[in-house]
Amino acid sequence: MVRGFCGSPDRAETIVTDLPDNSEDETPSTIPLRSLPALTTLVISLCGSHPSPCLIKVLCSIGSAPALTSIVIDHSSWESIEDIFFEDPWVGLDKWLSRIARHAEVTGGLPLTLRGWPEGRSIWEGFLSEFRESGEIKVEHK
Amino acid sequence: MDSIPQELIDAIIENVPKSSLLSCSLVAKRWRRKSQRRAFDTISFFFETEVNRWCTDFPHNSDVIPSYVRHLKIEEITSWAEPALLSRMLESLSSLTTLSMHETEIPEELPGLISRGEFGNGITTLYLGFQCYTYATMTSMILSFPNLKELCVEFCEVAPEGPLPTHPVTPQRRPLNSLELRGWWGVAGEALTKSRLTSSRLSLDVEITGIMQLLLASSETLVELKLYGAWFLRVPRPSRDDSN
Repeated sequence: MVRGFCGSPDRAETIVTDLPDNSEDETPSTIPLRSLPALTTLVISLCGSHPSPCLIKVLCSIGSAPALTSIVIDHSSWESIEDIFFEDPWVGLDKWLSRIARHAEVTGGLPLTLRGWPEGRSIWEGFLSEFRESGEIKVEHK
Repeated sequence: MDSIPQELIDAIIENVPKSSLLSCSLVAKRWRRKSQRRAFDTISFFFETEVNRWCTDFPHNSDVIPSYVRHLKIEEITSWAEPALLSRMLESLSSLTTLSMHETEIPEELPGLISRGEFGNGITTLYLGFQCYTYATMTSMILSFPNLKELCVEFCEVAPEGPLPTHPVTPQRRPLNSLELRGWWGVAGEALTKSRLTSSRLSLDVEITGIMQLLLASSETLVELKLYGAWFLRVPRPSRDDSN
């Protein structure tokens, strides 16, 4: 397993997620970004079943983004992940989103938009559950 | 015809299909300029012979039609038989703001001519896609445009070895408004990192090499970040049978 960290890089918080092993893994070395002070909008575009280990690594390198007012996860086919959302990469993403949401300075909680969400479908129980404790999920249909 | 206000003529020309612009330009003298401006606003070339013909038709920098061109697209000219053709054409396009090169070779001497200010000063948007470049060619090309604001490099492979750019490089560039880098192979990200480019808007494929350096370079001024995190590009998901 490849271990990723998720926490403030300058405080070197505990490792929180295990990423699937990949012998050909060439994911980038993590450089702590500490803070993205001007960042207001983050869009994460996915088209596979899982967020990639690279994505989790890059996100976890971001220490804080205090000016963040919106996060969008764009997926071309949310239906395809219905049965695997509880697996490691999604858990890692959930933990990172949760941490960012807790430290966001936006009034009323950080909104997370699931873009391309199928119409008439409710959000699965447990999906991004940790984030939901401190942020708000919205959906945007295709 | 003379009683029609110019504003009305302009509005008609703005709304007719592009295929009708040639006819519009022949209606009357007052229709010609606006019709031609719109007809030649964006031009595309797919073959070197077409570029050659353009250069033959408009041999002088003072020709009016080339001055109407603001957006130039060149596609699928993977190797130039006569590399100077592109320079000659760019030299004639005095109003050019956007240069798009898709599956197209960058002639070796082009970045040097641009960086010396011979043409291309007005170009603010550059797209390079689906072509293999040497490190020197890619960085030289990108850094040669002094007023670049938007840059998109898509699925370009960059050879890791190669000489450094030979022309002078501006040590401190102004941040770009937008930098998009897609396609995970090659070392395009590293090439851009070494080019010391920063941007307030980044769209990045998370698989590219050099992504962390790019993020770090722009971290203070970054306003919008888009990350493409596609699992399937690198790691085929094991089937349920494999995982048991």
